[in-house]
Amino acid sequence: MFKLDRKLILSASVFTAAALFVAGCAAGGLGFSKSNSMNAQPSIDGGVFYPAANGKTGPYLLDSKAAGMKINNGRIPTANELKAWDTDVMPDGTGLPEGHGTASDGSDIYDSKCVSCHGDFGSGGGGYPSLSKGNAYTLKDSLLSQRSEEGADGPVRVFGTYWPQASTLWWYIKDAMPHQATGTLTEDEVYALTAYILKLNEIKIDGVLVDDDYDLDREKFLKIVLPNRDGFEPKIDGPKALPGVRAYYANPTNFGGIKVKPSERCMKNCQAPTVKKVYVTNGGIKDFVPPMATAKDLPKVESKGFDAEKSYAENCAACHATKSMGAPMVGDAKGWASTMKKGLAAVYKNGIDGINGMPAKGGTSMSDAEFKSVVDYMINASK
Amino acid sequence: MKNNDSLSNEKKLDRRDFFRKTAALSATALAGTSIFAADDDAIMKMPEWATKWGDPVTTNMYGVPSAYEHNVTRRGTELLSSGNFRASIAVTPIHESKGIITPNGLFFSRSHGGTAHIDPEEYRLMIHGLVEKPIVLTLAELKRYPSVTRIHFIECPANGGQEWRATQFNSVQFAKGFMASAEWTGVYIKTILEDLGIKPDAQWMLAEGGDSSKMGRTVPMDKVLDDAMIVWGQNGEALRPEQGYPVRLLLPGWEGNLCVKWLRRLEFGAEPWYCKEETSKYTALKPSGKAIQHFYANEVNSTVTSPSPEIPWTDLKDGAVIEIEGLAWSGMGTITGVDFSLDGGNTYVQAELKGLVLPKSWTRWSYMHTYKKGEKLYLTSRASDDAGYIQPTIDQETAVMGVESVYHRNAVETWEVTENGEVNHVQIRS
Repeated sequence: MFKLDRKLILSASVFTAAALFVAGCAAGGLGFSKSNSMNAQPSIDGGVFYPAANGKTGPYLLDSKAAGMKINNGRIPTANELKAWDTDVMPDGTGLPEGHGTASDGSDIYDSKCVSCHGDFGSGGGGYPSLSKGNAYTLKDSLLSQRSEEGADGPVRVFGTYWPQASTLWWYIKDAMPHQATGTLTEDEVYALTAYILKLNEIKIDGVLVDDDYDLDREKFLKIVLPNRDGFEPKIDGPKALPGVRAYYANPTNFGGIKVKPSERCMKNCQAPTVKKVYVTNGGIKDFVPPMATAKDLPKVESKGFDAEKSYAENCAACHATKSMGAPMVGDAKGWASTMKKGLAAVYKNGIDGINGMPAKGGTSMSDAEFKSVVDYMINASK
Repeated sequence: MKNNDSLSNEKKLDRRDFFRKTAALSATALAGTSIFAADDDAIMKMPEWATKWGDPVTTNMYGVPSAYEHNVTRRGTELLSSGNFRASIAVTPIHESKGIITPNGLFFSRSHGGTAHIDPEEYRLMIHGLVEKPIVLTLAELKRYPSVTRIHFIECPANGGQEWRATQFNSVQFAKGFMASAEWTGVYIKTILEDLGIKPDAQWMLAEGGDSSKMGRTVPMDKVLDDAMIVWGQNGEALRPEQGYPVRLLLPGWEGNLCVKWLRRLEFGAEPWYCKEETSKYTALKPSGKAIQHFYANEVNSTVTSPSPEIPWTDLKDGAVIEIEGLAWSGMGTITGVDFSLDGGNTYVQAELKGLVLPKSWTRWSYMHTYKKGEKLYLTSRASDDAGYIQPTIDQETAVMGVESVYHRNAVETWEVTENGEVNHVQIRS
């Protein structure tokens, strides 16, 4: 088992190492620094692979003793535990249970559990995604639309026009919908909702249009081919997928990357004289929560939330609940009457500034108003 | 000693010069007093904090920022939100950040079904599928693996994605703050796989969250066996709930949503899963009508963080020597350099990198500028990485990607400094 891991880990390194010789590119020239990865190699994502070599990976030291140790933590899951969590549904039907439901049933469930977010007939709303904009086969052509000009219609990216696999929909509804109460739908309900969404997108299964009476089951489900099935790159299916992904990201033109030698990067006259400056129009989006602010000041305090009794107990009771400290004891009417002869204003002031053994505001960080409300509480509790 | 700062910019200053100049400046400062300026109350009046007790050390046993910093927060907007900010994002105030680490409370937060609060005692991680031995781990068991600690940014691939067609945010927090950086602690997945044994036909790993959205993504084995980590530590403490407490996946440099939070399950398989967040979303539509799926790494990128629309130069004096500062980052490698322009990208000079320069990490850059009151500037930065990439212009990027791809926009950005010192987000386009 251990050897197998090693071999696989090694073979992965070989893939990346092989790619190295195609496009190895170290920085230099014009003062740009060489990175601390002297053995930089391309990786599956088109970036650099930092090997673990000489006790380091990139700039980080590695614990060579820990590497390769067998730790043997944990335990083997039970069959029921696996079944409880392994609920994913794959395009080939792995994980898809038996069951069935009609689009008409799905419409009823939709109206009670989904419409509040996804809108009438899946039209969307409140920031939640639309589920359909009409006939998916026709609207798929909109994926060629670019809103480069003001007022142009953009691409329609809803389930029917854009998603490559129907399994994604079934799995997502079952595990993650309805959004505020996930995992509460039965398998038949998920089939019914799936049928309804297929119907809204006017999808055909094996040449048959999904209509209200269409009873979707597992067998029919696995025959769904969505219009945009081939709309994605790089290809990720089949046993030879990874070399294809590596090749895709080894070519920057596939994803808009720009590679230049540091010495050949543009440093002057880089722009056509015709370039324009595009500004944020009408102030742009600024409904920020909380609103944008950079002042270094104190937040506005809601003083009505202040609990004088609680604050007394936490900050004042240690001295004022007992006579021995020399402070006027709360509940001692005579003692407070004597204190109050100075007048309320003086009592407040002495407390705020501190007097005798009493620190200012009792050593608290209360505001003056809060402190006064605590004094009021103590006076009232001593009458 | 303050004078040292301004002197440090002069290149080739020898020791003798240095002491002579410092002495001269200090002498002036000691002997000279201003007879024109009014006395500053901040100096002349004794403030309350200088005369009265502070808080006991037992106040805030878990510390919180100064109350005066209350405006330094994450922020959200309805535009980027479905469902009462549950499937939404709150972004990092990078106009206020220095260095290459984001405090945990300011780390941008994106979730698909709200922030889950997981009981660590009931946390389990299941690893199964094409492994020789499937396992279930408790949190304590997971943490017993030998740990590694790494500094990496995490970036939502929609960072800047609202601005393919034009600028929409006059704010660096919203234009570039869909990212943050931390020192992460966890275990390499390859370390755990030493125990479990991978079957030869495994090409992919499903990572699934335990939150209500069951966020899932398919990860190729290359990354799993390279630097993929399962992390529980963030800047020296446990992950925050917003970052997936108690455990998340970390795929250094790759799209934030691939770094699945509240991680509960890893399954190894021969075929990809086609999860919702790698089909319906996080795919980049090109003008050909084809969309890029499994778009992994965040490409080389940079931005000016100071000045910013949020913190402009309206109070800057004529002749002030001011540091223009920014961030550069690449999910594909290590930053090798940053070019900086005062004319919106027509003419570049090389900026200085400063601090730690680490792979797949935020990197700080700096350019010292002598400010002329009333000047109009267009500040543009352009980063390069050791994979050989350089940031494209907006025109170069849209020529390949069009304007509908939403994700992975890494073209250079420009901040206009007006005659009044105000700062605006602008784009330079043909």
